[in-house]
Amino acid sequence: MKTSFLKSIQFFFFFCFSLFYSQIIISGKVEFRNKGIKDVNVTLKNTYDGATTDEKGNFSFETSEKGEHILVFSHPKYVEVEEKISITNQNIEKNTILKESISEIDAVVITAGAIEASDKKRATALLTPIDIYTTAGADGQISAALNYLPGVQKVGESEGLFIRGGSGTESKIFMDGSLVNNYFSNSVPGIAGRDRFNTSLFKGNIFSSGGYSALYGQALSGILILESVDLPETSSYDFGISPLFLSGGFQQLSKNKNASFGATANYFNLGLAQEIFNYNTDFTKAPRGFGGDFNVRFKTKKGGFIKYYGSFDDNKMAVKNESLEPEFDFSKVRLKATNTNHNLSFKQKFGNYLLNMGSSYSYNISDLGFSTIENEVESPVNQMKNVDHYINFKTVIERKIMKISSIRAGFELNNANEKRNFGGFSKNYKDLISSVFAETDLGLNNRFSTKIGLRAENSSYLEKTNIAHRFALAYRISPQWTTSLAYGIFYQNPESKYLNSSAPLTFQKSEHYIFQLQRNSDGRSLRMEAFYKNYDQLVKTSGNQYIQIAENNSGNGYGKGLEIFWRDQKSLKTIDYWLTYSYLDSKRKSLNYPISLQPNFASEHTFSAVAKKFVLKWKTGFNLSYTYAKGRPYYDIVSQNGQNIIRNEGRLKDYNALNFSLNYLPNLGKKDSKTFTVLVLSVSNVLGSKNIFGYNFSNDGLRRSAIVPPVNTFVFLGAFFSIGVDKTNDAINNNL
Amino acid sequence: MKKLIFTSAVLLITTLGFSQSKYETAMKEKIDKVEQHLSADDFQKLSNDFTRIGDAEKTQWQPYYFASFAQIQKGRILMQQNQTAELDAVAAEAQKPLDKAMELSKDNAELYILKKMIHGLKMMVDPMNRYMTEGTAAQEALAKAEKLDAENPRISILKAEDLYYTPAQFGGSKEKGLELFKKALEQFKIYETKSPMNPNWGKAEAEYFIANKP
Repeated sequence: MKTSFLKSIQFFFFFCFSLFYSQIIISGKVEFRNKGIKDVNVTLKNTYDGATTDEKGNFSFETSEKGEHILVFSHPKYVEVEEKISITNQNIEKNTILKESISEIDAVVITAGAIEASDKKRATALLTPIDIYTTAGADGQISAALNYLPGVQKVGESEGLFIRGGSGTESKIFMDGSLVNNYFSNSVPGIAGRDRFNTSLFKGNIFSSGGYSALYGQALSGILILESVDLPETSSYDFGISPLFLSGGFQQLSKNKNASFGATANYFNLGLAQEIFNYNTDFTKAPRGFGGDFNVRFKTKKGGFIKYYGSFDDNKMAVKNESLEPEFDFSKVRLKATNTNHNLSFKQKFGNYLLNMGSSYSYNISDLGFSTIENEVESPVNQMKNVDHYINFKTVIERKIMKISSIRAGFELNNANEKRNFGGFSKNYKDLISSVFAETDLGLNNRFSTKIGLRAENSSYLEKTNIAHRFALAYRISPQWTTSLAYGIFYQNPESKYLNSSAPLTFQKSEHYIFQLQRNSDGRSLRMEAFYKNYDQLVKTSGNQYIQIAENNSGNGYGKGLEIFWRDQKSLKTIDYWLTYSYLDSKRKSLNYPISLQPNFASEHTFSAVAKKFVLKWKTGFNLSYTYAKGRPYYDIVSQNGQNIIRNEGRLKDYNALNFSLNYLPNLGKKDSKTFTVLVLSVSNVLGSKNIFGYNFSNDGLRRSAIVPPVNTFVFLGAFFSIGVDKTNDAINNNL
Repeated sequence: MKKLIFTSAVLLITTLGFSQSKYETAMKEKIDKVEQHLSADDFQKLSNDFTRIGDAEKTQWQPYYFASFAQIQKGRILMQQNQTAELDAVAAEAQKPLDKAMELSKDNAELYILKKMIHGLKMMVDPMNRYMTEGTAAQEALAKAEKLDAENPRISILKAEDLYYTPAQFGGSKEKGLELFKKALEQFKIYETKSPMNPNWGKAEAEYFIANKP
């Protein structure tokens, strides 16, 4: 009895013990859209017990807990779920379905039409700011580097971005949101102006070859959005020296690193280059000039950020050509130009709202003098002088709604005041374009996103108003493949130089349809885009080679094509390359074209290749680029008896250029060195291809002369020093 | 009866004793794993295990520290496999427990050491463009750690790694790196961790580098 009692007590204790410590298995499966999710952290709340799901979403763990508990399922990409469970002495199976958590990082981005150069790591950023610097043949000019991207036509004789069958004036450039009037330097006809802004001023850019946001307007073809740099990393002194120019400047950063200011000055003269190289262009005065800029950037106490950038430049040149007219020996054109440009922007967050304000002011004088020379006697100069003022002001308010959606709205004012004098003829063109716009980004989930925008513009000159709608969407097909669509209507005022009569005119119009397919994987990107662009209400003109007069808006046209971009930083060890092919079919009946013609700035096939390699041992970067463009058409069109007729036409030979550059960084790795030096050697058109950009015709159309680049092969040598900053580490990591 | 009482007593003591050291037992078993060469998946599991302990304990910084460290180790494995594109996500996951640990323990050098490592992971996603931001932030975190605990051998380990892998042209040196690994070993002899729950990793790595010169 005693023993049996003891035994039963013992049993009781053991029973209690085993009950207390009995292990229950909790298992289950975690799914999203009928697929198991890996790496979900399953936790029995407030205990150590739990597990991590496997590839199939299965989990299983043991616990000795009892009673009412909560099972928590968490994963960074999904919304956390809590499930109540009651643990008795039976195994539990608990299956759960998670919902995707919507976040900006995982959300698909609309990329139709756009290519971004940014240090932010995301699908839209196919390029980094350094890529712009190191593209051979771009001479450090952003607009020239864009020639190696899909959609941009290689047009050598004039500045501007010629996008998908659009002329150079159909693209606009913005800096920190505000329109930059006079982005390119002044030049003479036949010689392209250069980018006025140094590449190092910008930390990134977005180039859109169509279907762009309602925040921007007055560009029938595309836009380039530049984002200026923020505060510098440290204070520094910088110098540049080359046979072509001298420059010097400084940046001063405040001790608490929330304000900076700086200034630079430069002088250039192509005289020496002209002595050395075999120039096609006879510069009687080699291009020369001086300029300077000043910047202030600071953070306000309330978290706002103010940036100011102002520049001033003055340049001159004179060119002599053999005259096409039998009565003269030479024709001569000289240029005197002055420009000042100011850009101010302000950005601040107010709770859920983000305010962006920007304004720009540009003042430009371009003074061209035309004359003829016969028997070494120069005729009186025919002056064409333009004095232009532009003021742009823009405000955008943005509000985030939910996690990945937002609404933006704002207004923009652009005031132009242009005075033109040519011979006895003078005019003053004034136009205030007032715009309002609103746009919404709607992200339904991480895979699907849409953008709907509306923009209205009023032009005081045209006394007309337009309303344009824009629409875009993006869908992620798989982790690597995304597709985007964009549609939009775009309006642009007729170019002011054609507004020489009182003919009633209206906005020119284009309509874009863009379809894009993009594949991004680590180190490789493939981007394919098909587009159709329809032009309507284009301005038709008549007149002579000096003055064209807009008559009506009866012009029209189209551009359609296919573009492929492939970038690969992985397949070839230490070589980074990209390839671009653009097919373009475009015709238009605009300006003085009497019938629908392939524009003289549109090439059907453009191919380019860019390759870069950095050799660590030699501390040298080697860059190559190549462009091929099928010959463009050329026309000689004159107005006779109120009718435009084609007197001469033909096709230019194909364009070819192989460019090479190298950067040598001798101080690389010298940790104690206070000076950072970069030596640059660049050779454009290494093979010396004799490219032709077009023809000028004599008044009677019987003689012609080719428009060619000022020099076929150009060599640039320069040295840049930066003192006070150790950029060595920077350079190391640029090239590791 | 004696036997019964004895059995019960033993059971009771074990139970009590077990519950007292439950935290330590769970931690120790897992801390031993963090220095092993595990797969990325296993480090993810380990990190989740530590997070669970941290969430249950609520006042201890160490579980969160190791949750973050295991995640960083996962990042380093991915880095070795050249899967650098995934490092941003890993760094974000390592940052979450680190933030919790920093709330529980202010001015802790060990936590700044992890901060340095997280910035290092982020930099590796795109070293060309991120050096100025992530690289600088990493160095600042390490400087802060050094200020708080100058003789911490793990600071020497991180510096040694950096030097070891920087090419000679840029001021790196395998020899200087190895010297620092040796210095770290010397520091390990003197350095005292305040609790067995505290981080104590690094010695094996230093020994490995000195022995194998990889």
